[in-house]
Amino acid sequence: MGIPKRKNMINVYGDKETYRGESVLKRRQELLDMITKSDSFLPDSILHDDLDKGMLDYIKETFKVVSDGVQIPVIEKILTIQRWGEFSANWEFSDGDGNVKLPFIAIIRKPDVQFGSNPAIQRTIPDRYQFHYATVPTWDGNQVGADIYKIPQPIPCDISYDITIVCNKFRDLNKINKIVLQHFSSRQSYTTVKGHYIPIVLDTIEDNTPMETIDGRRFYMQNYKCIMLGFLIDSDEFEVKPAINRAFIVNESLGGATFKRSYIGKSIDITLSTIISNGTTTTYSVGESITVLFNVSINGILQQKDLHYTYEPIFGGGSSINFNGTPLQGDVIVVSYYKGKNNKMYDQFGNELTVARETFTYNGTNLVFNVSQKINSIISITTNGLVEYSDEGYQLTGKDQITLTSAPVNGSTIELVYLY
Amino acid sequence: MNNKLPITRLGKFFSQDDFDINIQMGQEYLHGDLNMKLVLYRVDRQKTDNDDVYAEAGMDEIKFFPPVEFNALVKIDEPKNSSYTKGLMRYSEPGNMTLSVYITHLNDLGVDIRYGDYIGYADSEERLRYYTVTNDGRVTSDNKHKMFGYKPHYRNIICAPTQEGEFRGV
Repeated sequence: MGIPKRKNMINVYGDKETYRGESVLKRRQELLDMITKSDSFLPDSILHDDLDKGMLDYIKETFKVVSDGVQIPVIEKILTIQRWGEFSANWEFSDGDGNVKLPFIAIIRKPDVQFGSNPAIQRTIPDRYQFHYATVPTWDGNQVGADIYKIPQPIPCDISYDITIVCNKFRDLNKINKIVLQHFSSRQSYTTVKGHYIPIVLDTIEDNTPMETIDGRRFYMQNYKCIMLGFLIDSDEFEVKPAINRAFIVNESLGGATFKRSYIGKSIDITLSTIISNGTTTTYSVGESITVLFNVSINGILQQKDLHYTYEPIFGGGSSINFNGTPLQGDVIVVSYYKGKNNKMYDQFGNELTVARETFTYNGTNLVFNVSQKINSIISITTNGLVEYSDEGYQLTGKDQITLTSAPVNGSTIELVYLY
Repeated sequence: MNNKLPITRLGKFFSQDDFDINIQMGQEYLHGDLNMKLVLYRVDRQKTDNDDVYAEAGMDEIKFFPPVEFNALVKIDEPKNSSYTKGLMRYSEPGNMTLSVYITHLNDLGVDIRYGDYIGYADSEERLRYYTVTNDGRVTSDNKHKMFGYKPHYRNIICAPTQEGEFRGV
């Protein structure tokens, strides 16, 4: 009997990609919402003290043991060498001599924080490279725009803690030990720090009870050594830049259909394909071969080639746009392109067309600009990067001539992209 | 061990009468002049709620016989500055208390002091500090505890201070 063949089509998420009864997408959104609770689109900083607080909260929540009818107190703060700090943290639990009453639980952090072993970020990118995190729409009162948010890779760090219980009853030790073993039954447990799940690994359990004292104070002392596999995120390293600093376009689309195509009436057929994002895939096809790709927008926001999306063929051949991030479900993607034929551009009469790009500098007097070829169709005219619209910003005053309708600043750069 | 055995040693120089008068003189000084009073809480081993496995008792589970006031010579060590771990979690450990008590006095009161019993000694008018007996000084066969080598006449009892959560007293 042979080995059963592997079934490649097994859906590991179940029929509808679920996580604990919820869709995977919904769970992803939950996780995102957890780390962006503040009013910023960016995650909050996670620094050493945040991780320490996460450990404190975890211990207070987890190590709940009742002894003689009273819950064993956890000393409120992480103990450091500062004497006043230690006193202020435990004065609530002090007896008449100023000593902490037994039993109690204390958390001591080792000062040396090591480079981390968190499995999620074991592979590191050198030089603090900034990664695209989000594209956030903006509105300045006149124009719709977008900001690009970038953050570097979080820095993994391992922090060691001694969770110490000091008590004078064996039964209390048993209770604590049971809770610890239950929570670390799979070796690690989790705390949340500003919405991020941070694993904590139980390293060792040590008994440091001073048994040699015959006539002195007797108590049990056990250390639970735990390592937090944390990571650091520093908001000072975040980068926010405007995504569009030269032009914006708005495409109006009709809802309902997930794919729509329209044509701009020029001497060549420029196609606008409107696609509704499904929220999961990053590649979208217009369903036909693109000869010249003009632009791609999401919800009316122009996407920057190679930053927000990639489209490999320089001149013809491809049909798919590959986004670097996943567009949200329901996002309207508009792709404007020229379909062409056999990867060449032809006008309605079958004449082959060529794309030309020419630039001029305004000399302060002459608003008329002559290009070197006979213009078939104008793709775009910009003044210092700002789009000029037909009849408003310029007029076609000859087969190889355009005229600006108003004078720009002396020395401005006028760029024409046209077909001939 | 239960046989009555007359002590006849040193009979020519030191008799039971000499022994008794020395104790009377000592008690006159200790009980009359010094008058250091302590309270003995003898733990009732029968009624105390011991844990079935570990024989541990909670603070309110320790039952004791009616407290007995007694006199002894008291010596309390200086407190020690200590910490639970590596200099952190500091505490000031009160010093141990060493009692010297006449055996006759305990016999007169009809009590015995045993390992694990509690003893209270007033630090001030408002505060009674409790100690637990860590060495009940029951063994007195050495020369130090015998008056001129005649018979043992006192016990040295070493006590360690209790913590607030260990014993509540009355």
